[in-house]
Amino acid sequence: MRRTSLWAGAAATVAMALTACQPADQPTAELDTSFSVPVEYYTLDNGLRVVLSPDNTAPIVTVAVYYNVGLRLEPRDRTGFAHLFEHMMFQGSENLGKMEFVRLVQEVGGVLNGSTRMDFTNYFEIVPAHKLETMLWAEADRMKGLAITQENLTNQQGVVSNEVKVNVLNQPYGGFPWLDMPQLANTNWYNAHNFYGELSDLEAATLEDVQDFFDTFYAPNNAALAVVGDFDPAEARAWIEQYFGPIAAGPEVPEFDISEPRQEEEKRSSKVDDLAPRPALAFAYHTPERNSPEYWAFGLIDQILVQGEDSRLFQRLVQEDGFTAGVSGSMNDLGNMYNYEGPMLWTVSLYHDADVSADDILAAADEVVERIRTEPVDEETLARARIKLKSGLLNSMEGLFGFGRADLLASFALFDDDPSRINRIEEEFAAVTPELILQTAQEYLRPTNRTILTVEPGAAQGGAAAGAGSR
Amino acid sequence: MRATTRSLAALLGGLAVVASAGMAIAQETPPAGGEPKDFNLAEATEFELPNGLGVTMVPYGKVPKTTVQLVIRTGNIDESADEVWLADLMGDLMKEGTTTRSAEDIAREAASMGGSLNIGLGLDRSSVSGTVLAEFGTDLVALIADVTLNPAFPESELDRLRADRIRQVSIARTRAQSVTQERFRAVMYPDHPYGRLYPTEEQLQGYTLEQVRGFYEANFGAARSHLYVTGMFDEAAIREAIEAAFSGWKEGPPPTVDIPEPVTGRAVHILDRPGAPQSTIQVGLPTVDPSHEDFVALTVTDALLGGSFASRITANIREDKGYTYSPFSQVSSRYRDAYWVEMADVTTAVTGASLDEIFYEIDRLANEPPSEEELRGIQNYLAGIFVLQNSSRGGIVGQLAYMRLHGLPDDYLETYVDRIYAVTPEEVQRMVQEYIRPDDMLLVVTGDRAQVEEQLVEFGTPIVD
Repeated sequence: MRRTSLWAGAAATVAMALTACQPADQPTAELDTSFSVPVEYYTLDNGLRVVLSPDNTAPIVTVAVYYNVGLRLEPRDRTGFAHLFEHMMFQGSENLGKMEFVRLVQEVGGVLNGSTRMDFTNYFEIVPAHKLETMLWAEADRMKGLAITQENLTNQQGVVSNEVKVNVLNQPYGGFPWLDMPQLANTNWYNAHNFYGELSDLEAATLEDVQDFFDTFYAPNNAALAVVGDFDPAEARAWIEQYFGPIAAGPEVPEFDISEPRQEEEKRSSKVDDLAPRPALAFAYHTPERNSPEYWAFGLIDQILVQGEDSRLFQRLVQEDGFTAGVSGSMNDLGNMYNYEGPMLWTVSLYHDADVSADDILAAADEVVERIRTEPVDEETLARARIKLKSGLLNSMEGLFGFGRADLLASFALFDDDPSRINRIEEEFAAVTPELILQTAQEYLRPTNRTILTVEPGAAQGGAAAGAGSR
Repeated sequence: MRATTRSLAALLGGLAVVASAGMAIAQETPPAGGEPKDFNLAEATEFELPNGLGVTMVPYGKVPKTTVQLVIRTGNIDESADEVWLADLMGDLMKEGTTTRSAEDIAREAASMGGSLNIGLGLDRSSVSGTVLAEFGTDLVALIADVTLNPAFPESELDRLRADRIRQVSIARTRAQSVTQERFRAVMYPDHPYGRLYPTEEQLQGYTLEQVRGFYEANFGAARSHLYVTGMFDEAAIREAIEAAFSGWKEGPPPTVDIPEPVTGRAVHILDRPGAPQSTIQVGLPTVDPSHEDFVALTVTDALLGGSFASRITANIREDKGYTYSPFSQVSSRYRDAYWVEMADVTTAVTGASLDEIFYEIDRLANEPPSEEELRGIQNYLAGIFVLQNSSRGGIVGQLAYMRLHGLPDDYLETYVDRIYAVTPEEVQRMVQEYIRPDDMLLVVTGDRAQVEEQLVEFGTPIVD
């Protein structure tokens, strides 16, 4: 097997050695399946939280900057602004003109993206390991400030309105349930507005709005930086100090009351979707406060009830009753159960035919839900749920060439000031007892804690008549 | 079903893109970075069972997971014109139990290993696969073998699965992207399975258990299959498990070879979607496939023209004009078959203007080679993507299965990066002239006919329905 330098580009060769028919009986070492994530954590003088996690599996490195502002915290007359703002972060900074950032990443052989989620906005690059310094410099450059024009803003208003059209307005079930459900189930505006934004609000945004938002939320003391991959931590520390150290801390971010009151009555809504040919159903429950004992119990409930084809809702609604082909469920429709901070919904959704009513499906789902509220979970089911969570956590960490690990580390730094808890999650689930699961289900899977949303096929689809399938 | 409903991960993504204006004068230059590190492709071990089943094992990574993927050279290509999605329905029914396991047993066993069992039927390749915690790698091999070799095909589940597929198709037919793709393929591949993207409800209603069994018997077997194992595993134990589980599989026939003769030539189709806020566009033509000597140069050309964030078409219609969110071009390939296509969802009022810009960028590259600098940037990008593609369990299997399908030489991966860097600006220009010819392109637009028909007349007489 040859070792070569691929990233330099020229004259690189790489070996894929194919060894024909090695003897099967050669001795092999015992498989070591232990796994733990290295975590170095510290804070710069300006308040920037830094997490380093070396991994030399491949000669690549992920740089991820997380700002502690997400979809909830946008100005009231500017729905969709947090996401529009994210686009502006690619439009130019002091030393990188419009989209030179993008070209810089691509031309070193990397990929990049940004996304806006409930409680953070992130920006990340996955690049050849030897370009780490280049990316730290570039992320620091746009943390210092933006340099954009009205033309850039107008351009991105066009791009974002096209994003809303392609993902919501011109799609059957557009926004179902991830955009709809928070607006129905929540009562606090921060949690209950249209996160993608009304087109009129998007169009109304000004350069002044952009600057205000940057000044309010985009400062090192409101951010975390995660570096994951093949690098030397001492070298990385020096570069981080060099490029991020001089950025001045911003003013303290104002406090926002994002709390939700306890829901005391079931809510139900219906939505006519002109593009949808079949009905759909979603129901959601407010979940326990993040990191509470009940929260970990709810993570297990999620696995038992809806994750995977072994789950109780799948077995009942799909396998037994044949109402649908699949049941989706999540403790965070825009992420996972770890990377948010604030009130959250556990949302379940499915698509069905018109010859079955939503009430029939709900009645079957209720039987499944009532069982976990009244009957302690058996050992085998609990053990399987724990394995699924452990395996799922590894999947999350591996996602997108190691970006998933950076995502968890940055989230835990930003929300908990403790990224090392990535290695203690399995323990948290192990501590949950069947009794706690029962208590948690009794409080949080109350019918009065539930919101139901049905989607009715619109006139364009011939209404209910179009939905007849065969069973 | 999942594919037709939502993809949350994609929503609210920034999809940051591309520069259009010239470089501003930077006050500070980006630090260049250090010396490139070595990149080693993972080492593979291959062997073959007496029944012809090939096996490739690739130890990779430090995360305690094992991926097992059985690739079978069958799929929709083995359906006749009145059997559309019979393959898919058969795949659904395979999950419903074996001679010794119920559907619930299969689901529980896979979940107890920290994974799930996935069956996917494709156009010319299908797979039975899973990823589990490493201590269960051999159990997963056994489960995949049982599901593949001993399906029970319970009649009791057929009508339910049929109804699920009918629902899925009815939803797909309301998605602009799906119907655009359906028409594009139907026009390009008349009288070939690749041209039949969706079945009718009547077809799905009609399939019998006998047909399902017949499809399985005719098209599943060791001789047309290959098993990949990657991640962390004990090689000797895995090999033993494979020999025990798969040696009894029948050899079966070799893969079907049915190479299509796609239609080339300008045609414009409009699918009316009254009131649609966007027009969904696919524009493209048949081109050379991965076994052709020009394919790598075509790959580079595509990345520069429309297939990457910084590509010219994306820079133009997204970052300069704001007409669209996620335009993208690609070379879509199957065994000895490929087409080039640009896809975009654009605001209705600028449907014609968007196509003008797409053709403008194609013509510009046909008339003038790119600069060395622009080309070098794309070559660096593709070299980087190559490393990413070979740096995950799924990516490694994907690369190896791709090489096997297309019959690429053993040194394909070893020489790939060299061949990317060997492409010259003049070759890029030649690729466009030879293979990305606007006059021969099929153009399908799904949108509000009342607003778009007139905008499209300049590209040819539209066929409307």
